Amino acid sequence: MNELMHSGLAPYLLIILAGFLPTDVWRWAAVVAGRKLEEDSDLMTFIRGVANAMVAGVIMRLVLFPSGDLLAIPLFLRAGSVIVAFAVYFLSKRSMLAGVIAGEAVLIAGAYFTVPH
Amino acid sequence: MPKRPKASPAKPETDPTQAFLRGAKAALTSVQGLVLFASYIGYGGLCASLGFPLAAAVLSTALIIALPSQLLLVTGFAAGSAALGIALAVFLSAARLLPSVVTLLPYLRTRLWIQLLAAHFVAVSIWVESRRMLPPLPPASRVPFYFGLALTFNTASVLATWAGYVLSGNLPPSFAVGLGFLTPMSFIIALVRNARDLVDYLSLVFGLALAPVFVWLNAPVDLLWVGLFGGGAAWFIHRQRKARAA
Repeated sequence: MNELMHSGLAPYLLIILAGFLPTDVWRWAAVVAGRKLEEDSDLMTFIRGVANAMVAGVIMRLVLFPSGDLLAIPLFLRAGSVIVAFAVYFLSKRSMLAGVIAGEAVLIAGAYFTVPH
Repeated sequence: MPKRPKASPAKPETDPTQAFLRGAKAALTSVQGLVLFASYIGYGGLCASLGFPLAAAVLSTALIIALPSQLLLVTGFAAGSAALGIALAVFLSAARLLPSVVTLLPYLRTRLWIQLLAAHFVAVSIWVESRRMLPPLPPASRVPFYFGLALTFNTASVLATWAGYVLSGNLPPSFAVGLGFLTPMSFIIALVRNARDLVDYLSLVFGLALAPVFVWLNAPVDLLWVGLFGGGAAWFIHRQRKARAA
């Protein structure tokens, strides 16, 4: 198993075992047994909180400790572009498109001057 | 309000093939579908910048169909996390799909195995569009319409992943970096936009704050702890507030 995980097959095994199955288990469970669950029950609220915190966490990790090509962008630019995206989102009366475009513009312009090309 | 006879469809649309095609057409003209397409272009770009293989990136979209799960998977892989830890993180984050599927089931009345297949495609975009489009349809058309919608969304997502990945390799480096950051940036704003209750806002803030703490602590499967502690604390405070208000 360990050897398999370090071979070229690792991403594919991971997709099936750590991506597809743990995701679809919930979809199937919903069909088989989920009829009684209420959306605002304590358990569902807890699940929402955990899922939210993990997605927020994964984004923070990408900003602070990225890997691959994203490492080439300096930290202040990675963090700054997300902060700009947020600021514009709120200033534009909550337009997600405006926020994302502004954040991307800052990031790309900044990367143009800092990333070697 | 009294029903106007004008509102009824001109011809009965009970032919499953027709309903399937109408679902596919609805997917192609949906704004939600456009957002989905753009998100997966960003995901393809992210995979490219993280060094995740192209075929794997495409397969992950074809098979998983849930961007948060995929995001956890590829970032975990890039960070060299243990497979079990990634699986647990994905498992916890995907729990939110359960209520989505449950709320769609009343519109997908059919045999069990077809329902299981239908549930496989449920994610945020398909849920939003199905909730809007399925109820007005005649019950017999809903299932084929849903599969037309779902398969078209899925095919488009797979194409977008591939396009984003290939695009990333052909763009100037600064643009490739921008593409790689599209998904995290739109996700974090989407979290704020979709937040309804105190628990949503608190878990977002706690998740952002706790992520560096657990990375610095060098905790194995750090995101799992971020989720459990951050989400747990948010839930607890939300619950106390609600109890006091009641």
